[in-house]
Amino acid sequence: MPIYAPTLPPRPERGLGDPPALVLARFDVRRVLRQRIGMFFLFTLGVWLLIKLVMLYVNHLLGTKTQLAGVKDLATALLPQGAAFQADFLSGPMLFVIWLLAAFVGGGLVARDTLHRIRPLMYAHPVRPADYWMGKALTAVGLPLAVMLPFILLPWVLSLLIAGGAGPVWPTLPLRMIPAALAIALLMGAVTLGASALAATPRAGVGWSLGILFGLNAPATVLAKVLDQPAWQALSPTDLAAAWPQLLCGVTPPALGWLPTALGTAAHLAVWAWILRMRTRPSEAVL
Amino acid sequence: MSALLRLERASLRYGQILGLSPTSFELPEGGGITGLLGPNGSGKSTLIQMVSGLLPPSSGTVEVFGQAPFRNPAVLSRIGLVPEGDRFPTGLKARRWLRMMGELSGLQGPALEAALEETLALVGMEHRADLPFAAMSKGMRQRIRLAQALMHRPELLILDEPFNGLDPEARLTLMDLLRRLAAGSTRVLVSSHILSEVAQLTDRILLLFRGRLLAEGSVPEIRELLDRHPVELRLVAESAQAVARWAVEHGELVALRLEESGAVLAVRNPRSFLPKLQDAAARGELPLRALDPIDLNLDAVFQYLTKDHA
Repeated sequence: MPIYAPTLPPRPERGLGDPPALVLARFDVRRVLRQRIGMFFLFTLGVWLLIKLVMLYVNHLLGTKTQLAGVKDLATALLPQGAAFQADFLSGPMLFVIWLLAAFVGGGLVARDTLHRIRPLMYAHPVRPADYWMGKALTAVGLPLAVMLPFILLPWVLSLLIAGGAGPVWPTLPLRMIPAALAIALLMGAVTLGASALAATPRAGVGWSLGILFGLNAPATVLAKVLDQPAWQALSPTDLAAAWPQLLCGVTPPALGWLPTALGTAAHLAVWAWILRMRTRPSEAVL
Repeated sequence: MSALLRLERASLRYGQILGLSPTSFELPEGGGITGLLGPNGSGKSTLIQMVSGLLPPSSGTVEVFGQAPFRNPAVLSRIGLVPEGDRFPTGLKARRWLRMMGELSGLQGPALEAALEETLALVGMEHRADLPFAAMSKGMRQRIRLAQALMHRPELLILDEPFNGLDPEARLTLMDLLRRLAAGSTRVLVSSHILSEVAQLTDRILLLFRGRLLAEGSVPEIRELLDRHPVELRLVAESAQAVARWAVEHGELVALRLEESGAVLAVRNPRSFLPKLQDAAARGELPLRALDPIDLNLDAVFQYLTKDHA
């Protein structure tokens, strides 16, 4: 009896299709958005953003409606108009929640593939290790950045709409805060991906991420206090993230100077990117 | 005929450990199945990792379609790999995962959807691809793994221990599919540590042992080699002496050892000896209660072959 070959789909032409990094990032982002934890973070940050916008609008009303003049002093105390107010759009508890989001998302990105031995399969496709890192970085950096942008752009747009250039938000805010958001997102992505590369399970990856964040924060604070050198705070990724908006908005005095912030950020990016690279080499993937 | 795959003194080291000694062989272009046979730890997976471009050789050369496969998209896009193992993200649905794998191979849009449906139909999973991996049997997951390797129509399909853990029906289905693929233009390289599995699939075998290519040939040639290996059989019987007497008269004995519950025989040609033993037991000539082949496994056979070749 003759055996007939089955019909296989036509072979794709090389060079067509989306870049592998984009394919990987799209897959991961969709997975995060389907997860309950992703929805929880988006909801929490959405509520936070709404409160910020409402406060901004209420402040405008207090400034323009004479019948509300009685509570105007209180509003001014709540919403100061200086550089610290501008930097506050990316700081405090909101930034902490974004760090948690980054840890939960980024901490699992590489570790999940390690657990399920996905990388050998990917590298057996036309996917280079650099495509893999890029794909993961697009998710780990892009997601926190996408979450931070509305915190900058929506208050800015609202302020322009209600009060033009004289509003509580500086017209030049995006020029200062988008680079700050990018620096923060790069830090978040590098630290969490590096931590994820060290772990064998997604849960361990999240644990590593949180451990690194809090673990580096404590010695940084102790060293800064004991040696009376605030520059030691640059060891801590969370302090570095908080420093960028202050520096770019010109808060005086900033918690950290330009030099320690730039050096600390560069060092963290280099170390965690190196760990990611070493831990996701094809030889690591197959063993 | 030009070679689809060529290894020339290709070796691989994991640090101080030699994963594969310098190895040379060729696979011709066109369809067909080649079995990669060897016990666990013999270097099969190492060889597959080099051929599928996951690792570069430490020395020598590996060429697939005339080029080095390591980090070479031009070669990798023509290879399909089904690695060993059965770990999937449990909550993930197979269709989503396959779609991503198809996109990584350069498929997109209607071509991707068409390839997805055709490949799912080919592996018989078209109605179950929306199940999460956690709800699938091992056989179903293996078919999905095969589907991801076939979506981009590879010319070289590599499977690392694909039959491990499959039930007999799933095994037969997979074998049938591989035969049909090989009947077309797909060259299939399949590794296994079980000779009978490979023998059902192909007549061309590469034998690996302790990181080196021990022999290359057809199944009859390999069987002939194996037949020269004396196999130890433990016969449990009421009378050890009766068994020993019968064995001396009928068996091609190399050694005989009496035990309390029977005898241990080392026979030269088990394939001719075992039917004789079976007949004698059926006729009641032997008071046989049990038969236990002590070293009728590939590992023992390979050790014998290694000694034989030394």
